[in-house]
Amino acid sequence: MKSFSKLATLTLLALLSSSAGCKKGTKNITPLPGYTKPPISGPITPGNPLGGANGNNGSGRPLPTDSGGSVPQDIIDKPKSTDLAGQTDREVIDGMVADREHFKANTVYFEFDKASVKASEKGNVTTVADFLKSKPEARLAVEGHCDERGTEEYNRSLGERRALSVREMLLNMGIAADRVVTRSFGEDKPSELGHDEAAWGKNRRGEFILLLPPASVR
Amino acid sequence: MNFPLKFFASLALTFSLQAAPQVNVTDTTSRSIPISLTGFSGETRKVLEFDLFVAGFDLVDVSQAQYDLNGRVEGKTEGTLSDTANKASLFNRAYPGGTTRTQAHALADDVVQAITGRKGLRGTKIVFKVQRARTSEIYACDFDGSNPVQLTSDNNIVAAPAWKSGSRSIYYTSYRAGNADIYQQDLNTGARTAIVRFSGSNISPSPSADGSKLAMILSKAGSPDLWISDSSGGSLKRLTSTPADESSPCWSPDGSTLCVVSRESGYPLLYTIPASGGTLRKLTTGNVRNTTEPDWSPDGKWIAFTRQRGETFDICIVSATGGDAKVITEGEDPSWSPNSRTLIFTRRTGKYGSKHLSLLDWPTGHVKDSSRVDGSSSQPSWSR
Repeated sequence: MKSFSKLATLTLLALLSSSAGCKKGTKNITPLPGYTKPPISGPITPGNPLGGANGNNGSGRPLPTDSGGSVPQDIIDKPKSTDLAGQTDREVIDGMVADREHFKANTVYFEFDKASVKASEKGNVTTVADFLKSKPEARLAVEGHCDERGTEEYNRSLGERRALSVREMLLNMGIAADRVVTRSFGEDKPSELGHDEAAWGKNRRGEFILLLPPASVR
Repeated sequence: MNFPLKFFASLALTFSLQAAPQVNVTDTTSRSIPISLTGFSGETRKVLEFDLFVAGFDLVDVSQAQYDLNGRVEGKTEGTLSDTANKASLFNRAYPGGTTRTQAHALADDVVQAITGRKGLRGTKIVFKVQRARTSEIYACDFDGSNPVQLTSDNNIVAAPAWKSGSRSIYYTSYRAGNADIYQQDLNTGARTAIVRFSGSNISPSPSADGSKLAMILSKAGSPDLWISDSSGGSLKRLTSTPADESSPCWSPDGSTLCVVSRESGYPLLYTIPASGGTLRKLTTGNVRNTTEPDWSPDGKWIAFTRQRGETFDICIVSATGGDAKVITEGEDPSWSPNSRTLIFTRRTGKYGSKHLSLLDWPTGHVKDSSRVDGSSSQPSWSR
């Protein structure tokens, strides 16, 4: 408290001197660029526990200030509206069980910097469509990926465009729009770590993730 | 009341009054200013050298210097700036309080202000992404890379952190819920909210300069398009509806216009579009092609961006109204400092090595790496 009153006095002095000193004094007062911005930080504080089980909420870590950090807290967020224009409601998808193995052999690959599905890849899409037709309770996530050549957010959008191209093909094969969602990881989840065309060609891909209702798995 | 202590420390400065220097503001002069440092050593010298170099100064011997900064550190830092030609003293100041580092930053900023009329960078922050193995987290640090603080610990993938102007709040993309969703995080408490989480990609959040709006890329309508909302993801409005993918939006400082990348022509190009709605208009960049990652300077005059040529990336600058872009240096993803002159960007170690952050004074081409953290650092965003 003692230091607080000291600070308060200083604040008062500061305000007085800055308002009184406009005419002649300000040149010699060191300007503090961005003092309304985050101040110089103190030591790293311990992190806080992660949020809910499926991660729809939860806390990050605070950025400490000179006066020390404060206690992190969870905010339980309510999802926004679900105007999805064809894509499935997130709540439905988030509640389903993902099988990443089922369509592992059906991954489709793309040309460099292209998002259209090559004719050579159509067979894999057909296989996936046929399976979905035989299993009406199943849904699907298509994950788009890129090679490392390209800037990060550009690749994130390109990966999404690739996933959407695959989805469009599935829809043209008769799969209902509300059964297929898309995701993009850009260049963040390569399947191969090399830096040549052999690796890049495998990383420019669309993966199929089978989604099943919880009741049907067990 | 989040005033940093150094705010008070700076106001408690002691100084002796000297004639005010004639300030000549030549913001984009490409000539570096030769300055010598005498009497300083250790950490203070390092901080002064770093800050002055990235402000467009060349550190030289006193015999070649146009200005000399002489001083010492004994508890407080003292500095006298003089013009070497006429021996005139520009200021003589002492910096008590804070740490040796913050004192040195304050002195460096005063030198920059006295000679160039520009504001220095002290107290500004960077938020960025750090990737290790297959996961990434959001970090913040001082503008020179010191004092790094980890802001997430999800062991998942994050992307595109962006500072909400003038606040202790950031936006970023996280995949922690299995999908690319946009989060807003309060840096005082660490509390965060998933503010945009539709099916499909919710990515590349970019707040307007006044903090009232957010631009982003959403694919919920069937293609990765440019959308804007209020600061918490509400009142969404779709601005583009191309079948191609858009990416990396940013705002003009007055909030009237956005610059965004579109692949509408089959390859990445910069476009502008009114925030009130309208059509995409190509931003001309001369012979510079394959352009991504625009960032609009806070003074409204320039757009910095990345161009890709084969497997190399370069930082480029073009007038905000378009024209012949200048290729400045190799690197990616530039972000402007509040003074519209210094930029932070990503550099690679070797062709496909890990990335790290570096500062650029674009008119002089001065480039200096920030302090590093373990892992690959990218996607810096400057607080402003």
